[in-house]
Amino acid sequence: MTQSVWGPVRQEMSDLLQSHPDDVPAVVDQLTKLQDILGRVPPLLAENPLCDFNKLYLTITEGVLERLYGGKFKDPAFLSRLDVEFAARYFDALRAWAGPDTSPHCPRVWSGLFQRIPGPDCRPLPSACAGVNAHINFDLPFALVTTFDHLGTDPIDDSDQHHDYLQINEIFAVAIPGLRRGYLDKWQLLIDTMNGSLDDWWQGEAVEYTRNVAWRNAQKLWVMRHDMSATDKQRAHLDRVAAQLGGLLLSPLGEFLQ
Amino acid sequence: MASDEGDDGPLVGRTDTLAEVQSDLRNVGPGGTAAVFVTGESGVGKSRLLRETARAMNATGVAVLSGTCLDIGDASPLHPVLQALRQLDPELRQIDQPDDPGALLDRVSRDLRTVAGDRHLLLVLDDLQWADRSTRQLLLYLLAGLGGIRLSVLAAVRAEALHGAHPLRRVLAELRRLRSVRVVDLSPLDQEQTLELVNAIAGGGIEPEDSDRVFKRSGGNPFVVEELARDLRDGRIELSDTLREIFLSRVDELPPKAHAVVHAVAAGVEPIEHSVLARVTKLPEDELIDAIRAAVAHRFVASTAEGYRLRHRLVAEILEAEVLPAEAAALHRRYAEAMEGGGAVDHARLAHHWQKAGEPARALPSVVAAARSAEQMYGFTEAHRYWSLALDLIAGDAPERTELLAHAAESAHLCGEHQRALARLAELAGRPDAPGRCELHLRRARYLAAAGRSATAEVEYELALQAPDCAPRQRASAAAYLAELLVHLGRYADAYERATEALDLAAENGTTADLVRASAALGFSSAFREDPDAGLAVIRQAVEIAERSGHPDDMGVAYLHLAELLAGPLNNVEEGVLVARRGAERLASLGVGRTYQTRLLAIAGNGLFRVGQWAEADQVLEAAMRHRPSGADAVELLLARCRLWVGFGDVDAAHRDLDAVATLLAGGGARHVLPMLTLRAGLAMWQRRHAQARAAVQRGLTETRSDDLVLLGVLAWHGLRAEAEALTDGERIDPGAIRRLKTVVERMAEGVGTAATPVRAVIDGYIDLCNAEISRIEERHDPEPWLRAAVAWDRRSQPYPAAYSRLRRAEAALTRKTRKATAVVALREAYATTIAMGARPLAAEIVATAHRFRVALADDTDTVPINPPGPDPDDELGVLTQREREVLAAVAEGLTNREIGERLFISERTVGVHVGHIFDKLQVRTRVQASRVFLTAA
Repeated sequence: MTQSVWGPVRQEMSDLLQSHPDDVPAVVDQLTKLQDILGRVPPLLAENPLCDFNKLYLTITEGVLERLYGGKFKDPAFLSRLDVEFAARYFDALRAWAGPDTSPHCPRVWSGLFQRIPGPDCRPLPSACAGVNAHINFDLPFALVTTFDHLGTDPIDDSDQHHDYLQINEIFAVAIPGLRRGYLDKWQLLIDTMNGSLDDWWQGEAVEYTRNVAWRNAQKLWVMRHDMSATDKQRAHLDRVAAQLGGLLLSPLGEFLQ
Repeated sequence: MASDEGDDGPLVGRTDTLAEVQSDLRNVGPGGTAAVFVTGESGVGKSRLLRETARAMNATGVAVLSGTCLDIGDASPLHPVLQALRQLDPELRQIDQPDDPGALLDRVSRDLRTVAGDRHLLLVLDDLQWADRSTRQLLLYLLAGLGGIRLSVLAAVRAEALHGAHPLRRVLAELRRLRSVRVVDLSPLDQEQTLELVNAIAGGGIEPEDSDRVFKRSGGNPFVVEELARDLRDGRIELSDTLREIFLSRVDELPPKAHAVVHAVAAGVEPIEHSVLARVTKLPEDELIDAIRAAVAHRFVASTAEGYRLRHRLVAEILEAEVLPAEAAALHRRYAEAMEGGGAVDHARLAHHWQKAGEPARALPSVVAAARSAEQMYGFTEAHRYWSLALDLIAGDAPERTELLAHAAESAHLCGEHQRALARLAELAGRPDAPGRCELHLRRARYLAAAGRSATAEVEYELALQAPDCAPRQRASAAAYLAELLVHLGRYADAYERATEALDLAAENGTTADLVRASAALGFSSAFREDPDAGLAVIRQAVEIAERSGHPDDMGVAYLHLAELLAGPLNNVEEGVLVARRGAERLASLGVGRTYQTRLLAIAGNGLFRVGQWAEADQVLEAAMRHRPSGADAVELLLARCRLWVGFGDVDAAHRDLDAVATLLAGGGARHVLPMLTLRAGLAMWQRRHAQARAAVQRGLTETRSDDLVLLGVLAWHGLRAEAEALTDGERIDPGAIRRLKTVVERMAEGVGTAATPVRAVIDGYIDLCNAEISRIEERHDPEPWLRAAVAWDRRSQPYPAAYSRLRRAEAALTRKTRKATAVVALREAYATTIAMGARPLAAEIVATAHRFRVALADDTDTVPINPPGPDPDDELGVLTQREREVLAAVAEGLTNREIGERLFISERTVGVHVGHIFDKLQVRTRVQASRVFLTAA
């Protein structure tokens, strides 16, 4: 193994990632500790792009936890499992990250964000969005399939689980005011500069739309989940597409959003 | 996969891992099992590690059984384990059709026990990512200790599989929390280790820049390192860039016949026997042997005792792209022909070869046969895959399609693939020779109900009833199912109406099953509509009818409903227990309905726990466990038994059962997570681990539906109690947790009004307990809320929470120094109850409290009732249960049933049932005769 990408917080990082949270309170706890550690990664410290994402993700997960305690979901067992499985994939990516070109098991879309930790600096909103992109466009469909499979239910439109899933959009809307209406035009403009492959699945309303895409992708994956090679192919495809978008967000073009 | 025993290169950089894995495998948990899952990329050396571990452990007297999962994607259920068993003993080849899935698991466990003898068993499974669902379930069953075997499991999983949506991902995530399970991630070699391996193979003298190149190109993957090092040794200057290049250059060097052998082996499945390979390659013996030698020398093929196989999966992947489709098809055809000519037929493999040979018509019979045999082994997931495959093989207008669709839909339904089941059914409905409309609506309704889509299911049942082709029998069935669904939805008025109608229909035209179902729906809806007697009478009658029919399912279901109704909504626990035990005995005497016996005993065990007869509950649950239940039934029983351990304060046994539950739930099953969390919290509290108790409750709160007030009540009480206990111990309390718990209590108080009466009483009991705990947290030392709680639980005939409440009441009063005499009475009463039950931790707390306030718990010996002695085998009364002996003692005193009921806090009717059983067991006909037996024995 080469010298750690995490610098002085290497040991803390590896200790933290030893644990695998199995409920939403524990996920919030893990993200809180991660926030503290990430804020001490030189040279950018709390300004680093992953910090920006982690902060947003923490806020959103806290929102989910609050609603779970408030009894706001129809099928809280589903939503809790989803949240845990979803987070596990972010932690997996962090665990797999050992630096550019030496992390064969780290998804490309996450590598793109991780390798910007040492800089060059990026504005907070596009950074956070790059993380949201990786987490929603890539991780979420798989997390959905795993959760449904474990609970023995199907991803069906208009089901209790679907309604609960859609509730998360409200939390996003509160947490990312920057992505509300006013910014969507810029967002759209950014997308317009992309080539065709993204165009057809990115025509709508940022997070809400993306989350719907994730739901549709989960339904697509659901049907092929017993076919390992087909799933692998789809996984590579989603990674590639999301990585393209992530790269764009972190490029100077992404500063549009701020 | 990978190379054979004689051909291994040196093992580098794995010494520590090897030692750790062995130590973990030997270090079985309290349940007598342990597991190590090795994950890592292809070629990193997982199989090698498995092999070395197996060899080392075998040398120390461990029985080793090894199997490999197949990637043909349609192996038969339990393939790797059955294959491993067969290798040891071909007699184990045939598994007769088991009565139920549990019997199948039991049967396989027995075979494994036979193999192990008195040795520890190590089950080694390679390529677990390809394991079918049945194998995964068997694995969890064994690891939960349900097979009654002390065993360790060592399995390899390709890391790539865990990144996507593979079911093993969740399974391993859950299992790794257990102390007896390890997940070992095998990483590639580092630069130094790579150098060591290169030198060991190439025999030293390697230039540093060469070994650097090997490290860079291989990424430290030992399989690749080894092959590159061989190239170096053999003097190839230009190192290949990829594994593909290494092997492709070697392909070119192969003699033509060896080439043919390599391709033939690549098209085969599993180790290929010499005779099969001869038939497939059509080479004369001498040439064949020469060709195989060349293929082995070029490191494509490995030869083992079981036959030939490719050296590594990675080699297979490279060759796949090299074989022309037509070539591959021809090879598969020859395999299929060789198999058909060779006698014993493995339908799954034959189907695989015919399909790959591009001969769908010849594949079809094998696929259908494979589907049927999978169904016989309860492998509905596998069966569904075969039925789907069969559908893919035939044209849309083939007449067989209709029947195949019907099978595909039903197997999808049975393995929980609800959406697929509905899709198949939709296609079936569109066929010209589709079943009738009523039939289709009925099936769709059943599938929808199983998927939890109750509203649409209800519509379908209505449509079935309205269908013009609805036969009287179907009408009875539809009405009964609909009534049952409405009960589940809590629409008791609608359910009552439907059930009444369904019962009439069933009485006239229905099967016994319909009649039982309708009766149960009527019974439960009546109970919830506060007319329990009417409903009870109906279900009692249904039991009689089922008894007359003699069908085990009908009898089992009828007894279950009656016992559940009594023990649940009617809160006549004692009689519920009697009915449950009687039902189990009846089925046992007929030698049928093992699953129903288990479920009935679970109800009896839970009931006995509630009424405080714990010794008896223990015996009943042990008897139920002897039926070797699996799946959800096993989870229910383990939870019931664990509840008992927590009450008894047997920490080790409780942990063991909780681990077993967690192991089984790793395979899915959200319904049982909350009871598990409650028990975890209860156990942690006795161990004074308040943070753990709090964490379990908080997780429970995030996963409980907001309308499930009973579950919320249990959780909130545990949570508040944990905070109160933390406070008592002078530890930190969590204000956030308390605030949330109080909100839950408020929600319960708001919601309780709309709950059905039987449920309301339970929720009220928990609200009382919660409020009392809140007063404790606020240090009010108020005995009043505790008194209320004690009375509420007395009314529910649940002595355990009542005794707990009395303890707290006494504690509060003694702290306040008010009404000391009443407090002492309460404390003594609580003590007597807990001692009688055997609730040691609670008794210890009572004693500690008594010490603290200098209260004598017993000023004369009479106030401490001792546990009734266990049944003495020589004693004539030994056949009676504890309760029956109590009733008989009262009978011998000359008390009437009413008087006995008042004394024992049970209904007069229940006393009557007890007396009936006593007469049966003692073979007497009058109270006088019974009294005589009692007095003689005593």
